[in-house]
Amino acid sequence: MKTIIKIISVLLFFFSSTLYSQDLTQLVAQCAANSGNVTYLKDFVVKLDAGTPGGAPPTARFAMILSKNAMYRFSICTAPTSDGDAVLQLMDMNRLLGSTFIQATGKEFPYFDFKCQKTGVYHVFISFKEGKAGEGVGILSLVKKF
Amino acid sequence: MLKNTIIVLFIIVSILACRSGGDKSGILELDESEILEGDLEISKETIDDIIQSVSSPVEMAALVKGLGVDYSNKYLAPTDKADELSDRFSQALNLGIFAADLGYLNMYNKTSSVIEYISAIKTLADEIRVGQFFDFNTLKRLAQNYQNLDSLMYLSLRSFNEMDQYLRDNNRSGESALIITGVWIEGLYLATQVANDSPNHPELAERIGEQKIILEKLVLIIDNYKKNKQFAGLLEDLNEINSYFKDIEIKYIPGEPVSKINERGELEITQNEQSVVEISDEQLKDIIAIAKKIRDKIIKV
Repeated sequence: MKTIIKIISVLLFFFSSTLYSQDLTQLVAQCAANSGNVTYLKDFVVKLDAGTPGGAPPTARFAMILSKNAMYRFSICTAPTSDGDAVLQLMDMNRLLGSTFIQATGKEFPYFDFKCQKTGVYHVFISFKEGKAGEGVGILSLVKKF
Repeated sequence: MLKNTIIVLFIIVSILACRSGGDKSGILELDESEILEGDLEISKETIDDIIQSVSSPVEMAALVKGLGVDYSNKYLAPTDKADELSDRFSQALNLGIFAADLGYLNMYNKTSSVIEYISAIKTLADEIRVGQFFDFNTLKRLAQNYQNLDSLMYLSLRSFNEMDQYLRDNNRSGESALIITGVWIEGLYLATQVANDSPNHPELAERIGEQKIILEKLVLIIDNYKKNKQFAGLLEDLNEINSYFKDIEIKYIPGEPVSKINERGELEITQNEQSVVEISDEQLKDIIAIAKKIRDKIIKV
């Protein structure tokens, strides 16, 4: 009987990993579609565990090169099963350029547009509010060249 | 008891067989040592970070289209000899070339040629055993239906990104580096050829000059694999291109970003720090020539 339980556990593991990747694929597609009339460029899929009380929230970091005279859109979507809401921040070195969550006002945005004037390497940071656990997707799209 | 165990094992084997059905080659595992030799001089994380950061296959095409430049198929690499590329190195490099061309075609909605390029990409992706990421039938159906052009663009780019992610997750960053190098070289070729044909776009010259930033990163990655002869050859080519970029100056004008909520209630951020590229006509001329030389060498079967 124990053997059968072990085997079923293995089966469930394979099923759940398949469902997990399907769900995230759907979330990427849905998030890209919700980004509006823009050209999808890249996605950033994250799955983060909860942080420790009082500690910094776990964060995923992604590098990208952005080009001058281009307007980019950064979108964020949280998987329905997540404990926390995903937040996307755009950084240039240590300088915060934009965020989907404005701490001072508590206002949240599903995306923000960034008019890039300097070609270079930038970083996207994705975390979950209050350091909660969650799965989410960030999308980088091209709005236009100007 | 034994009978039950056998039944359950049978179910597992069946499920695993179904799960691998998407991969027509039936083999997903590849030993990176087949094409790479020696230890990496920079960490795998750094390499992955750089690969991930390199621009998408459609960005250069979007720039060219944004300038109002007409479409021309003379900028595309021919696909007719894709199946004659016999080694993994050339296959990966040319897959990147075709991916950039596919981005160009998608950007101009040239769906009739899209199928040809998707087919070439699928051929090469199958050869390097990442064909499972390109759903050829769906892409073909979307290309044949003019109402689904956004879906075609999305699925093409998403398939490319998934393939790239898979390679990096499976210790095949060397192949991933080759693919993005191919994408970059074809993007540079497109931009330089357009600059050659339509010299009245100073902005294009500036974007070409900025490629120095990406090139330096590509050199850094490819240098890691130089113990392999083919990589060493590619490094030589990239260094030759780099020799024409090294005197281009990029200056930075400081400024603070400004945020506003637009009339649609969307958050808009304008960066006020600026980069300014100083590239002479002579430098541009040299880069046009070297980009053509190296790109033509890569696509030659």
